[in-house]
Amino acid sequence: MARIRALYGASPLHLLAHLVALPLAAFALLQLARSGTAVAIFTWLVAGVLLHDFVLLPFYGALDRLGRRATGAAVNYVRVPALISGLLLIVFIGTISGKGGGVFHGVSGLDYEGYFGRWLLVTAALFVASGLVYLLRGRGGGSRS
Amino acid sequence: MSRLPRLPDTPPPGPFRPAFWRSPLRGPWLTAAIGSVLLVLVGIVALTGFLSHAAYQPDLGGNALIDRGKDLPLTFFDWPSSPTFLYAITQGLHVNVGLVAIPFLLAKLWSVIPRLFAWPPVASPAQAIERLSIALLVSSAVFEFATGVLNMQYWYAFKFGFLSAHYYGGVVFVASLALHVAVKSPVILRAYRERGVLRPLRDDLARTRPEPADPHGGLAPTAPAEPTLSRRGLFAVVGAGSLVLLIGNVGETIGGPLRRLALFAPRRQVIGPGPNDFQVNKTAVAAGIKPEMTGAGYRLALVVDGRELSLSREELLAMPQHTARLPIACVEGWTTTQEWTGVRLADLARLAGAPDPDSAFVRSLQPRGVLSMVTLNTGQVADPDSLLALKVNGADLSPDHGFPARIIVPAQPGVHNTKWVATIDFRSA
Repeated sequence: MARIRALYGASPLHLLAHLVALPLAAFALLQLARSGTAVAIFTWLVAGVLLHDFVLLPFYGALDRLGRRATGAAVNYVRVPALISGLLLIVFIGTISGKGGGVFHGVSGLDYEGYFGRWLLVTAALFVASGLVYLLRGRGGGSRS
Repeated sequence: MSRLPRLPDTPPPGPFRPAFWRSPLRGPWLTAAIGSVLLVLVGIVALTGFLSHAAYQPDLGGNALIDRGKDLPLTFFDWPSSPTFLYAITQGLHVNVGLVAIPFLLAKLWSVIPRLFAWPPVASPAQAIERLSIALLVSSAVFEFATGVLNMQYWYAFKFGFLSAHYYGGVVFVASLALHVAVKSPVILRAYRERGVLRPLRDDLARTRPEPADPHGGLAPTAPAEPTLSRRGLFAVVGAGSLVLLIGNVGETIGGPLRRLALFAPRRQVIGPGPNDFQVNKTAVAAGIKPEMTGAGYRLALVVDGRELSLSREELLAMPQHTARLPIACVEGWTTTQEWTGVRLADLARLAGAPDPDSAFVRSLQPRGVLSMVTLNTGQVADPDSLLALKVNGADLSPDHGFPARIIVPAQPGVHNTKWVATIDFRSA
């Protein structure tokens, strides 16, 4: 037992758990690999995680550092509305950018209308709400969280 | 130890150095706490996802959208036809809880990002295999959420079939997630034991301290910055993000006056006050239905053992009519509930000479498309609310809603309510 642990670097149970789960994942990956569009699928699988880890996360991290430098103790009053607005944008990118509008019109006969404008309005409302909280709390002096 | 020989012991400058990561909130407790919430959410999303696959009854007739026999053997049961809103609930949960999970997923990934730059990258066979499984977990998670979110907004930015990629991606995700939870359970339990499950949430900003730096875990910072947010503040922000995403979409699932509140969802329009003014999944034009196909010459064919009975729309209207209030619940998570009137499928089966069929194979006039047909199970054909609908809200169906006749069966996926029905083949084993 101790020998396995020394050679492998963890308990045999660790290895066993991997030997149960990884073949199941491999089965699913194999089905994807058999598809005629396997290259596109695997490109998305790899590109998604690379975009998150090396573009999105460093990007919002850098924005956050800039925000902290610019606003000091009041940072959360900018950070929170900006974060929620950004979240809305990346999650509803299909409707807000209108990129899904073509297919949507084709199937439903309707159009994507006003999504970008509503996103701007919601963003403005978030900052207004945050500004009001800032003023009501006495300019950050009473910040509790 | 089988450390790779060529790498220096000292990490290169930048993110590989522990001091690079300065957030005072990161640590085993924070990751465990975010991960626990996320686990509950993605558990619901995964379960309802596999239920949706089962609801399509891929083992019947031509229903399979993924090669039959290549999916997991989890579709062994007949999808029930009650309660009527069953699929609206399961699929509404799948999509809306999926949206709620996104901020927690992003927060979880943020909390563990220092581990991506662990040094040395691989210290043992155990760590190598674990990092491989983490790569599968994170890539499948991002893939599932990205493809799901794009699909519900009709932006097919990806050049592959959504269904099978999302299904098998889900299998990779669930397998690697179960593994991750199993492998990390000692770390999670230790974090909760040492710091309490909820105790760190009591600290306000002034009392927020970094978790003790742990040279092995590498999550807590070795050179923490001053906190600008408490841990409960972080949860509040992430939760607020989830709430806004939910509010931005859930109206298209619930319908009624809340539909307009879904500021960012595709199916938010209230089209008009007329009986046929509700959301169309696919218009007659998009489906290739021509007026001459549904005109005076239209006949419905009922088939039993190759014998065919042909009925005009007038003859169908002369049969006993039944009215039921039933939802159309779409895989993209939107729902619309209307009052349908038509002939019971069970009555049609009896008329055709097959009083207790095992299944019914329905074919549309729609010339192409995998969803131009459906096979319904025994219980669905027998359900007293399962109709060949001729009217909706008291008026004739409009062409877009399936004139001259459409299937409406309680609790099943929307696209299985076949429109412009041409034939119904009642089959017995």
